[in-house]
Amino acid sequence: MTSALARRSFLGLGLGAGAAVALTACGSSSGAGASGTGTGTLKWGWELPTSWDPVFSSAGWDVHDLSLVYAALTKLDANGNPVPALASHWSYNATGTEITFTLRSGLTFSDGSALDATAVKKSLDRGRTDPKSLVAAQLAHVSQVTAGSPTTVVLKLTQADYQIPSLLAGKTGMIVSPKAFEANAAGLATQPVGAGPFTLSSYTQNAKAVLRRNPGYWDAANIKLTGFEVYPLPDASTVVASLQSGQYNVAQIPGSQVAAAKAAGLEVQVIPSMVVAVLDVNSGKAPLTDPDVALALQYAIDRQALLKTAQFGYGTVSNQPFPPGYVGHDTASDSLYPYDPAKAKALLAKAGHAGGLDLTLTTTAAEGVPEQIQAQLKAVGINAKISVIPAAQATQVAYVQHSQQVFVDQFAGRDSAAQAFQVLFGPQGLMNPGRSTPPELLAAVAKVSATPLDSPHYAEVLQAATALAVRTMPNVFLYTVPRILARHKSVSQLPADVVVQRFEGVTVS
Amino acid sequence: MRTLRNTLRVPVARGALAVLLLVALLAVFGGQLAPQDPLAQDTAHVLQGPSGAHLLGTDYLGRDVLSRLLSGTGLSVAGALEAVGAALVLGIVPGLASLWLGRVFEWTALRAVDALMALPFTLFAIAAVGVLGNGLHQAMLALGVLLAPLFFRVTRAAALGLRQVPYVEAAELMGASRSWVLRRHIWSKVLPTVAVTTAQALATSLLTVTSLTFLGLGVQPPAPTWGGMLASDLGFLAQQPWAPVLPGVLIMLTVGALHLLADALRDGGAADAVRPVRAAATAPVREEKADAAVAA
Repeated sequence: MTSALARRSFLGLGLGAGAAVALTACGSSSGAGASGTGTGTLKWGWELPTSWDPVFSSAGWDVHDLSLVYAALTKLDANGNPVPALASHWSYNATGTEITFTLRSGLTFSDGSALDATAVKKSLDRGRTDPKSLVAAQLAHVSQVTAGSPTTVVLKLTQADYQIPSLLAGKTGMIVSPKAFEANAAGLATQPVGAGPFTLSSYTQNAKAVLRRNPGYWDAANIKLTGFEVYPLPDASTVVASLQSGQYNVAQIPGSQVAAAKAAGLEVQVIPSMVVAVLDVNSGKAPLTDPDVALALQYAIDRQALLKTAQFGYGTVSNQPFPPGYVGHDTASDSLYPYDPAKAKALLAKAGHAGGLDLTLTTTAAEGVPEQIQAQLKAVGINAKISVIPAAQATQVAYVQHSQQVFVDQFAGRDSAAQAFQVLFGPQGLMNPGRSTPPELLAAVAKVSATPLDSPHYAEVLQAATALAVRTMPNVFLYTVPRILARHKSVSQLPADVVVQRFEGVTVS
Repeated sequence: MRTLRNTLRVPVARGALAVLLLVALLAVFGGQLAPQDPLAQDTAHVLQGPSGAHLLGTDYLGRDVLSRLLSGTGLSVAGALEAVGAALVLGIVPGLASLWLGRVFEWTALRAVDALMALPFTLFAIAAVGVLGNGLHQAMLALGVLLAPLFFRVTRAAALGLRQVPYVEAAELMGASRSWVLRRHIWSKVLPTVAVTTAQALATSLLTVTSLTFLGLGVQPPAPTWGGMLASDLGFLAQQPWAPVLPGVLIMLTVGALHLLADALRDGGAADAVRPVRAAATAPVREEKADAAVAA
């Protein structure tokens, strides 16, 4: 019996040990795979889009993927200013209520059909009028699109709006082949047809997108890559190993992995971006209906501590939607909400909650920032319960139902400043769960739209709107989130684009 | 008791029991033994190595790892106990009843058990959490339902032979109540086999609890659990490559000890508790057949 027991004992221990090791390995992937070097193919560990159709894409992040397959009338330069793309130039009428885009000649979609003014009109009209369009609200100022000549598109506006060239650089202005959406609009979700730098050759949802260079792209001369692959966001624990093994040759990494990536001989670029971490505060739900309670949240949050633990210090603390350096950043608002738990407590007491109050923090992952915010709120007497919802339901719960009190979120930035205001603060804004906007803020945003981008007053007008927004809206901005990209040495330097990551000139040796 | 005495004679079993006793103490008193508040954050000292102030270092929010390990034992073990407790009730009672409550109940129970045995543990628990809400009780009750067929089968198999032994039949003929027979003659024989199964089921449950908390289900951060700590430590391997070892070792020791105890219980006589009965059970059947043949 002893020997039999000894054998089984070993098996028993082995089972326990094996199970524990298997659990430990759950977060790992094999990382095996041929190195991507020398193929001219960039393998990007980033994120796959919610849809390849720009009209129905529901996540701000999607713009990076969609920009690979679609081109727009304009694009943004590294600083976020609109520059020519499909349109070689544009001009406004004297009152700012009509804009005329002149297209480059000889443009084609990847399906071979002509990309002319009629195609642009049809594509923009689809975004404006499709009943389920997610970009229609942003095109609300466009009353009519007409094709003047094969290369001339005229947009008539309901009011002066000088943000249109910026707005059309993003998902809103991406031109989709009418031939494709007239034949099978639903198919665009997985089979996009645009005129971007690449075409999608195969796509497996939640797994991989394979793209190849589009020789018909208007700026194809600057696209050096022959192929492109996009993968879901790599796991923090394996991303460096995956980059070393060649599974990816460029990947988004968290701040916690920067030192490890550098130590592994990878190049790391910390690119300032428009992304900012934010709490979407629902001013329509008690007790947040009381402005003092909402204001108390601003003072109760130690943003510096969040930045340190969540991002290892990469980024800057922020209490406004625009990062430092962007034209809309209001420097005077930087010190508006210092960490001041005593003031938060006083505001809560003033609101009649001296004995504490209950709140629910909704998030897709409780670990990290939500835990930390919960502890910070507890310090001022707010008992925050963390409610975790599946990531797949987050869009519906947070952006459609607006049923949460506080949602731990990130704002991915938008192509135009007015669009950012619309999303964050507009009465129909996705990230304005309270669904109300003070009239003075609406007026300030209207003034932003009505001010030409090259006007000497534009910065002043935009910053005034920012200042007003952060003082009147309950959103609690936390810190900026730079785009940290680690890359294999075989990949050349990536452009430091503040809004959309582009790949012009990038090579893989 | 004989089985227990035999088991305790085996050194490996004594070792396993000692480990389990220690884990049980930590499960009950872990919170009190924790040197610091397991939820107290100190963002000035995140991901620190072991020191006098923090014997096992600090985690990504500056919380004391030792305190979290000690406090996390209770939730991890309680979940496993809850699942096995539910399985014991849901498995043993119908298992015994299937032999005494007639063919319709027996057939129904057997088919239900067959259906439940086809479902995978972790996936079913995740589905239960999805439907019933994210909580450990929901997940563990679901797991208990899935573990119940194990106890049903084991109890039924052990009791099947006992049902027909002469002294049970004699007791029934002499007017002994069903509950008296079950208590006096059946349960004491079935118990050692159930004990072996319980030890194995506890190990399985603990791993399932750990898997669920690893995935962020059942118990939500900031509450500490072994699985949850393992998951969060993996995000900071670059800073603390040794950190996942701590919850990993605790899981390994506990699960290993449970398996060793199950082995020792079986070798300590749990199997023998029903073996002589089986041998005896065959004889009357043969006699009955012989009687039938003579009568024919």
